[in-house]
Parts: sequence; structure tokens; C-alpha cells
Amino acid sequence: MADGYAPRILKVDLTTREVEALDTEDYKDWGGGVGMGAKLFWDLVEDKTLTDAFDPRNVVSIGGGAFAGTPVPSAARSAVAGLGAFGYPVNWFTTSNFGGRFSAMLKLAGWQMVTVVGKADSPVWIDIRDDKVEIRDAAESGDGLWGLDAHETQKAIYEIHGADGTWRSTGASRDSGRTTQHPAVLTIGLAGENMTRIASLIHDGGSGAGQGGFGGVFGSKNLKAISVIGTGSIEVADAAMVLDARLWAADQYGYQVDGLKSFAISNPCQVFSGMPSASTGFGSPARPEGCMNCHKSCHGVRAASGLGNGSHCYDTQIWQVPEKTATGAVTGETQGRLADLMQALSINALALDTAGFWLGKLNEKGLVGTGKLVDTDIFEKYTFGTYEWAEEMLHRMAEKREVGELLAEGPARAAEKIGRLEEDVKSGDLPLQEWGYPHHYDGRTEVAWGLGSLLSSRDINAHDFNWICMWTVTLHTLYGLPMPVEAEEMANIIAKKTPPYNDPMIIDMSDEGMYSESMAKLVSWHTAYYMYYKNSMGLCDWAYADFVNPYGENLEGLTGIAEPKYVEGVTGRVEPLEDGIKRGTRIWNLMRALYILEGRHRDQEVYGDYMYEVPSMPVPGYMLMSTPQCVPVFENGEWSYKMVAGRMCDRQKTEDWKSIYYEFEGWDPASGWPRRSTLEGMDMGFVADELEAAGKLGA
Amino acid sequence: MADIEKKEATGSGVSRREFITGVGGVGVGAVLGGALLKGILLPDEVYAIPASEGYLLVDTKKCATCASCMLACSTAHYGKASLSLSRIQVMNDPLGLYPNDVAQNQCRQCPYPACVDACPTGANHADPETGVRMVDEAKCIGCERCVQACPFTPSRMQWNHEDKHAQKCDLCKDTPYWNEEGGPEGKQICMQVCPHNAISFTKDVPVQTDAGYDVNLRKDDAWGQFGFSTEDDGMTLSGAQGATYGGH
Repeated sequence: MADGYAPRILKVDLTTREVEALDTEDYKDWGGGVGMGAKLFWDLVEDKTLTDAFDPRNVVSIGGGAFAGTPVPSAARSAVAGLGAFGYPVNWFTTSNFGGRFSAMLKLAGWQMVTVVGKADSPVWIDIRDDKVEIRDAAESGDGLWGLDAHETQKAIYEIHGADGTWRSTGASRDSGRTTQHPAVLTIGLAGENMTRIASLIHDGGSGAGQGGFGGVFGSKNLKAISVIGTGSIEVADAAMVLDARLWAADQYGYQVDGLKSFAISNPCQVFSGMPSASTGFGSPARPEGCMNCHKSCHGVRAASGLGNGSHCYDTQIWQVPEKTATGAVTGETQGRLADLMQALSINALALDTAGFWLGKLNEKGLVGTGKLVDTDIFEKYTFGTYEWAEEMLHRMAEKREVGELLAEGPARAAEKIGRLEEDVKSGDLPLQEWGYPHHYDGRTEVAWGLGSLLSSRDINAHDFNWICMWTVTLHTLYGLPMPVEAEEMANIIAKKTPPYNDPMIIDMSDEGMYSESMAKLVSWHTAYYMYYKNSMGLCDWAYADFVNPYGENLEGLTGIAEPKYVEGVTGRVEPLEDGIKRGTRIWNLMRALYILEGRHRDQEVYGDYMYEVPSMPVPGYMLMSTPQCVPVFENGEWSYKMVAGRMCDRQKTEDWKSIYYEFEGWDPASGWPRRSTLEGMDMGFVADELEAAGKLGA
Repeated sequence: MADIEKKEATGSGVSRREFITGVGGVGVGAVLGGALLKGILLPDEVYAIPASEGYLLVDTKKCATCASCMLACSTAHYGKASLSLSRIQVMNDPLGLYPNDVAQNQCRQCPYPACVDACPTGANHADPETGVRMVDEAKCIGCERCVQACPFTPSRMQWNHEDKHAQKCDLCKDTPYWNEEGGPEGKQICMQVCPHNAISFTKDVPVQTDAGYDVNLRKDDAWGQFGFSTEDDGMTLSGAQGATYGGH
């Protein structure tokens, strides 16, 4: 029966320059995206103690889930999975994610995933046209892509394809597929080519797999780009049901351009009902840009200025406060040019934000300058906060030149190299919350984000509870506006939508709730939900999970109702939400097993010291820590929203909580390793076997 | 099968039919304006095609390139999602400059349909009840003259390379995989699924120019509140729309 999947997985061996088609059927249980990527890694990497992301044996898989390319709304995310070069102290198996058109186009070409092994002996790119796959010369001797920036590369590939909006064929026969579309390209700029650890993968104008360091992994494989054009089709189990589900979701819960509803403060906290916005055009006339089959088109804009196409959120905001501080104004030109430059060089925006913040702190201490501990002239030659400072810093990082050579290693390794890691992480001058990743959302206040990241291999970047429990509450508090729902009602709605636990206490972020078993349920549920529905099946983090929705009856969102509809319409499978959670838990345990084979033990799962030592206070000028946080709490027998700024994590209580969590997941609390019974209960005896052989099975 | 009899030089009969005068499709000739002209009879020798009772209008400056229309179109007609099999084709250059980075290319249901005229078997025909120009797949012999004949680029006729027949927009008259009535009296899936109402429908024959089919759909809804231009040129922003500071 048709189930939304493309029939084959494309395996490209860059060492031998051979391509092979694997059977998607063998991987469907894993959903797609991250789940399939984890299983492909498991199958294709023999020595799973491998922890060097730049080793040719690293296997990187890219693709979406069952939903990509179908009318399911906001469901075409593409995942990247493999060892990530950014992780510190270990290049753990990790994941990244980007929007746009890639996963859908890959499926239309007949491929569910593309998985890359080995290393080419000279620069190459992979040209996928339906079932025809060519490994092409990317160097000057061939198509001349190596050395171009990420946008120039895509333009060059569009030209190679003759993509101009007219019909063209992908083959010679009259029944070869035809298309009017531009190929979907995933590529790197100089920062990736030069194997920095801070490089992203870029698609279209501003879609990017920013975190994880996969840009450098591509560079280590001499892989410049993967391009795909697909003229085929994706069959689903029940097409009428899928169309009905799409229209139902978008019409009942999505924004209505001719009948807007919103919280007192909207976007993007409204998740599924969020609206397109021109703010990332900075005053230039524009259209919104939407990822494939999305109903809300929140992915930045295409502006008449030509600046910042498709870039949004963080990428267009990190330099606003520095620019205003330095020059007195925020200019659209700076933000747009900077976003474009970051994408062109394929640098993770957090790398610039953190470099600027940390070096600024060291500069205040007199440690930065020509001949000083951080030997650089960048503060002398350029004014921090100006476009020119940022531009120069980005070029230096991409080229590994001057201070860029240090910072290209990522902030943790950079700080370690100059002997500042311990002190600066302890003070919070270098806020690396876990695994070398810059602080994103705060485990001291928002709790589950931090804990989920700590147990995983990176900043989780999964906003399911962040949008509604933190941002909505914080913004409405700060602006003195009425909450969409009060805390108790929020807890009850969320309880209803989080089976099998259905426990309202999961969003209690009080001083006690932080370390409770309910918090263990939240982290477990959250991880399973986003691992399956989002990272694997492809639902977008900016549309799901949708708990509270201004269009919904009783303000309830569509999570819990929509996901099973989509699954049934696309795959034919009747799968209530709790069964999807089980699938997510399974994927999570496979990833956990990979970390463990790579050396993970509970003793390493410790936050950066500032989390335990420094009260969580807003840090103006550092984008990621700029707001005091208000969250739901249950105290003295009642629910309320409370500003929890000033809080720290208690070291021992966090350790105790970890034991509660491990036990909750069926893992040995002494080590954090899954038990055989847990794994076999999920039909993962093969994982237990390998852990046991490595002496790493939970007792 | 369209109930049209063609009178040929040999003198076979043609029934008198009401039809529209005017030259559509190639952008020259008479401009019809909004009113449907009826009741003009021509001599029996003339081959007459009734006008379509419905037309899709688009606002390319509003289009967000999500391709929801394309994926829904193919799903509704064939039960499978595809860009190539969509009867509306959206050109999207992700690295292009607004407003020329996108074009929504819908079938114009031309008053003079060159694609219908080109079809040797009558597979491509004007539906006798509604005038909708559509393909009877069973009669298509795959000559692709219709694809060549469409005066627009890209051709609004497509060759369905999977199912081996020509296809075109039928205003959703025949959508076996969608639980709604289509055709001019019903709904069109592209219009229903478009998140921003960048596609609309009219029963009036549009002015036969590009501007007749690519119109301003940004004035009467919240578009301006989002900060986008509601002016015809899509380039003029009001004071309130010139935001310079982003949100979170």
C-alpha cells in the first residue's frame, strides 16, 4: 500500500565513487529523517566508537519523513544525521535540520534519504536527477563550484540545469520527467570547505542546518553540494483524507488572512496559527517565503532589496543590539547583508554571536589585542557592532585567518586552547550550556530545554513547550497584557495533549518541579515527540506542537488530533499519539546507544558550570539571553505564572533528577545506559547485543 | 465529449451556438472587459467554442512559493503529490529579486483556446455545460500538439509522463481524490489550499492581458497589517509597513 515513502535510499560512497540504492522498506519503522539517519549510521558504521566527525568513516544522512512533499501542512523539514564536528569534548552522533524544498524534491526523485559515506579524493558534487545520480567534478577542472559561496554555487547549479521557469526534461525520452522547477541544492561555502567546526549546510537563500558542524563534515569529504530535481510523485494511503486533513488543519487552526485571530502578542509564539511577517525585509517591499507545503510561510521574506532572502529569526537579529549600540540605529541593510554573508560563507550564526560576546568580555579584561592572549587586531581595526566588524570576523573565521583560526574550532576548543575554558564557562562569560553549544534557552529557568539538551548531544532547538510555556508567558507578562490562558488551564490543556502521561504537573517549572518525576515525564515525552513527529516524520518546529491556539475551540490547539490524522492519511497506519510517542522513544534509545558506544556516561552529563554558579539574569546584548523568563509554576497548591530570573540549577538536585529520569526511561541510573529489558521491549535486542559486547549495557 | 460539430469544407453541418467574439490567449486583439457577451450568432461555417464559465486569477506578488497549490492539485486529480503533474506551475527562483522571483502560471481558460483547436481527436475540448477547457484522457493520443499550441511560457498544457496523457487545469471539475465538488460552480483545490488567498476565482472573462490574470489580491485582508505592500505594484509601502526592527 502506498504510504508516502519514496522507495529507495541513495547511498553514495565518495571513496569508491559508487552509488547504491538501499530499500526504504528496511527503514520505514524509523519514520524518516533523524530516525532513518540514526539507523543508517548504526548499519553503515562498523566501529561505533568513532568520534572524529572529519574521519571519512563518518556517515551523513539527509532527508525527510513520510510527510514531506504531501499536502500535510508544515511537514517538509529535512534532517541531517551523523557525527557532528561541533560537539565538545566529543563529536557525538548528532542531528541538524533545515526547511525549504529539499526533502520533498528528494522524494519526488524517488529517494527517501541520501546517505554519504567515505571521502572523495578531489572536490565533488552529487547531481541527482530522478533516478540518475552523478558524482561530478566540483573543482576548476570540472564545474568550478569549489571556492564559490553557497549562493553562487546554487546559481551555478541552476544554470547547469537550465532552470529558468520553463519546461525542461530530465532525460532524453519523451516520457522522461519534465519540470519547471529549480533544483533543490544543499551546499557549503568557504567555512565548510575549510573544515571549520562552525560551518552550516545551506539551502536556497536562508534555509540552513546551522548547528552540529555538518558544513565542515561535507568539507572533510570534499563534498561541495548535493543537488536534486525530482519529476515523480509521492503516493499516499488515502489522498482524499490527506487533503481533508490539510484543509481542516489550515482552516480551523491556521491563520486566516481574512479573519485574523491572535493572542495579545502573537508571532511566532502562536505556533500553528502564526502568521507571515515582513519584519525580516526591514522595510523593503517583499513577499513571505514559505517552505514546501507549509500553510504559514514564516520562513523570512524575499525582499526587493535582494538582501536576506529566506533568512529569518536569529540570523537576522543577532547583530541588532550590537549595531544599535555602536551606531545608534538598526539598519535593514546591515541585518540583511550580514544574514546573506553568514549563509554565503555557511557559518552558524551562533558562532558569530558567541564570538562577539565572549571576545567582548575578554576585551574588557584587557586580554584581546595585538600580542595579547587573544592575539588579534580586529577590535583595533574595526568598531565592534558595525557591519564591518562582523564582516571581517566572518571572513577570518571562514578562512581560518588570524583570530579566525582559533574561533573556527568552535568556542569550547578555542577557549580550551588559550586556557580560558574553565574560568569563562564558570563565570558565564562563555555560556556553553552543554557539549560546547552556546546557551540557547535556559535550563535554569525553562528547565526541560536544558535537560533535554544535556541528555542529548546538542542544543535541542525544539520549541514545543518553549513557545507557549516560556515565550507567550514572558512576553505577555513583560508587556502587561492578558494571557491567552491562565496557568492552570494551560497545564490542563497540555496534560490532555500529552498521552500516555496526561499529567498537568509536567509543566510545573517551580523550584521543586524542576527536579521532579513530572519533569522526567516532560523530558521523556518531549524528546519522543520531537524525535518522531518532527525530526523523523518532518513536522516543523515552528508549527508543532500546537497546544494553545486562538482559533481552536476552548483555545485548544491541534496537537493530539492532527498528528494521527496525518499519519493515517499518508501511511494508512492508525496510530494514536501515544503510539507515535513510543516510536519516538525507540528512536531516542537508538541515538542514546550511539552516544554510549561513543563513550557517554552519566558523569559527563553536566552543565557548563555557570548554570550552577550564576543566577539566570537577562544579559542585554547577548541575543540568546536577553529576556527574563516567566514560566508556569505550581506552588502552595496553586498554579501561576512566575518570573524565575535569578535562579540557578542545584548541582546535587540535578544529579538526583538524572537518576529519576534514567530510571523512568528504563536505563541504569548508575551509568545512564539502557537496560536489555528496555531495549528488547522495543524490539531492539540487536542494540542490547552491541552494548553488551562493548560492556556498556545498563544493569 | 464536447458537443461541437465542425463544419468543414466538405459541408458537414454545425449547430448554431452562442459564442464570444474576441481573440484571447495571444495577447493581441480585442479586449473583452468584464462582461460576458452572449447571443452573437455567426454563420454556420464558423467553428464555435463556448467560453469557460470560470477563470483562476492569481496575485504573484502575494505568492509565498510554498507550492501547496501544486502538491494539492496533483493529489486531488491523481491521488499522488507531484510538482511535475500539477496543472498550475509556480516558477520560483529562491535567489531572485522580489517581485520577479516568482510567477504563478495558471491556465487562462482562453476564450480562443489554441490548445483545444490543436487537438486532433477532441480529447482536449470545452466542456459543453461549463465551457471549461479540459482533457478527456481516454481520447488523448499523446501527440502533444496542445502542449506546443499553448501560447504561454511555460505551457499551461502538461504532458503527464507517468500516466501518459496530456492534462490541463479543469477548474477541478474532475478530482476523484477530493471530497468536494469542483468546476465553475464549485471549488478549486489550489484556491482552497493557498494559505494567503493568492489565488482567486471569477466567472467574468478577464481582460486578456497578463494584468488581467495577475491581479491585486492584497487590499481587502490583513496583508497590509503584516507589513507587506498592498499597492498594485507591490512595491509601495505605507508608513506603518516600513518596519525596521525585528521581533523575536
